[in-house]
Amino acid sequence: MTTNNTHSRTLSPAPALIQCRRLTKTYKKGDNTITPLQELDLDVPAGDFLALMGPSGSGKTTLLNLIAGIDRPSGGNLIIGGTDIATLSRSKLADWRSTHVGYVFQLYNLVPVLTAYENVELPLLLHSMSARERHQKVSTALELVGIADRHDHYPRQLSGGQEQRVAIARAIVTDPTIIVGDEPTGDLDQESAQAIMNLMTRLCEDLGKTLIIVTHDAKSAAYAKRTLHLEKGRLVEAADLAARRESTVPQPV
Amino acid sequence: MRLLPFDYAVRNLGRSPSRLFLSVAGAAMVVLLILVAGGFVRGMSQALRATGGEHNVILMGAGSEESVERSEIPAATPGVLAASVQGIRTRAGVAYVSPEVHVMLPVTVGTGGMAKPRQVMLRGVSPAAALVHESVSLTEGRWPVAGGGADEVIVGRMAGTVLGVAESDVQVGRAITIDGRPWTIVGRFSAPGTVVEAEVWLPLADAMTATKRDTISCVVVTLDPYNEATGEGAEFADVAAFTKTRPDLELVPMTEREYYGKLASFFGPIKVVAWVTAGLIAVGGLFGGLNTMYAAFASRIRELGTLQAIGYRRLAIVWSMIQESTLATAAGGLIACAVGVFLLDGVAVRFSMGAFGLKIDEAVIGLGLLTGLALGVVGALPPAIRCLKPTIPVALKAV
Repeated sequence: MTTNNTHSRTLSPAPALIQCRRLTKTYKKGDNTITPLQELDLDVPAGDFLALMGPSGSGKTTLLNLIAGIDRPSGGNLIIGGTDIATLSRSKLADWRSTHVGYVFQLYNLVPVLTAYENVELPLLLHSMSARERHQKVSTALELVGIADRHDHYPRQLSGGQEQRVAIARAIVTDPTIIVGDEPTGDLDQESAQAIMNLMTRLCEDLGKTLIIVTHDAKSAAYAKRTLHLEKGRLVEAADLAARRESTVPQPV
Repeated sequence: MRLLPFDYAVRNLGRSPSRLFLSVAGAAMVVLLILVAGGFVRGMSQALRATGGEHNVILMGAGSEESVERSEIPAATPGVLAASVQGIRTRAGVAYVSPEVHVMLPVTVGTGGMAKPRQVMLRGVSPAAALVHESVSLTEGRWPVAGGGADEVIVGRMAGTVLGVAESDVQVGRAITIDGRPWTIVGRFSAPGTVVEAEVWLPLADAMTATKRDTISCVVVTLDPYNEATGEGAEFADVAAFTKTRPDLELVPMTEREYYGKLASFFGPIKVVAWVTAGLIAVGGLFGGLNTMYAAFASRIRELGTLQAIGYRRLAIVWSMIQESTLATAAGGLIACAVGVFLLDGVAVRFSMGAFGLKIDEAVIGLGLLTGLALGVVGALPPAIRCLKPTIPVALKAV
């Protein structure tokens, strides 16, 4: 296992919620074969808040997409909550996502023709429940992210920060096993970004959610319990990273 | 499989009003065309079918079964027939035996001779014609009289259409010129749903004089349906037997319905051309629709990726897209059907036999609506499939 824990090195005795074993992703681009992820091993315990960092093309978003079940590995195993999701059919994987994953996008990706309330309600329509129960869940989610008073607003009537709050409410409304975020603060000003990261921290600490985010922003990554660095599809050990950083610092002549 | 809310499909229509307008208008045009083609074919078929009387038999010259205009039979035939065949319908002692001359001649409105002549079906008739052709009723004026000093005609309700003039030009009292000779309109008649309405009727004797012939084209008789209990009435076979006993007359009997049915099949290729033209334009419209829907769907590929990331299956998303497209085309179809029913139904169309009205009936409306729905489904599927082809990560990166 190649985990790089910047905050603590305590290992959970229980089996990890997410287990990546020799996880590999390759795809063809013209005549070339690209390998954004190479035989990666990673354990993520339940309740973890993990930040993935690395330069562009390092494979962090690929890893996030694989964990979120919106992409398929080319090799290795990806076991989440005891299910090897790499073996699920396309439709089963869609069902699995609807139950186990909440996705927060950089550009919020709200449906513009639906109100904030309806956007949050969207994932719940994939589950059997009464309209009353659905209403209760949507209201709770909107209240939790502090946007209940804007429930009847359309995305175009909301600020970026408010849109991202709605997107987070949509991600948590089904009470998913994991919440993933691809640059969730990438399109926000500093104040809004702070508020969103505080909200995500609360999801982890107060509700015990497992969060994985991809970010370029060290300030956002600092909210996570631990940060992993990827380079060329592999995890980079903290020591290696520190050495590499030192070597890039200009030496006095 | 859980579906996207219907509301989502409805609201997506409002994203681009111009695109919505194009979809609705495009579908409306295609459906309207289908209605015109359907109304044309139905109108023509029904007009020809309805022209034949249920108990009427037409006797014409052997070898002229394809067209009564080419037929010539002795002028004495009606008298011989009435005396020989039992069971011909009578009223107040008058037999339902109508000697007729059918001829297509150039006709112009007025007497100036400046207007371009149009070929019109003229029918020389005796008063018995009013008996055998039950659908014909005089709506204005009076029956034309032969040799009354002035040459007189009555015109059908669609005479104006056939002659390419306003109805006011063919009112009672106006004149028409037949083959260079002026005739006065003394009456107008209707024969709903038949091609007879496009004809000009004149006295038999005048017609024979005008066409310089001493023969008639045909005899139309109405039989009393045969009653087994009383032994009264007659069947087609009785008339057929008569023609066999008088080979010298060289007659061929045909039920009037069979005759007009054959004419209808003669116009079969025209109907095929009407359908093929409508079909080809519909296919053209479909390609336009495909383009519009592709533009609509392609502008939200990222959203389609998001819906998949949330957990919606691709089939559910395709279904929503079909709903969206079908709503637009169905709206276009409904508009076209309303236009068809209120503006096109009954509109007169000229053809070689005269004229008929477009028939926008339930069957044609049904076909129009089905076309609208089919346009929606077929128009949505290829763009939907294409826009859902990228993997979710690729779709999420779409601009």
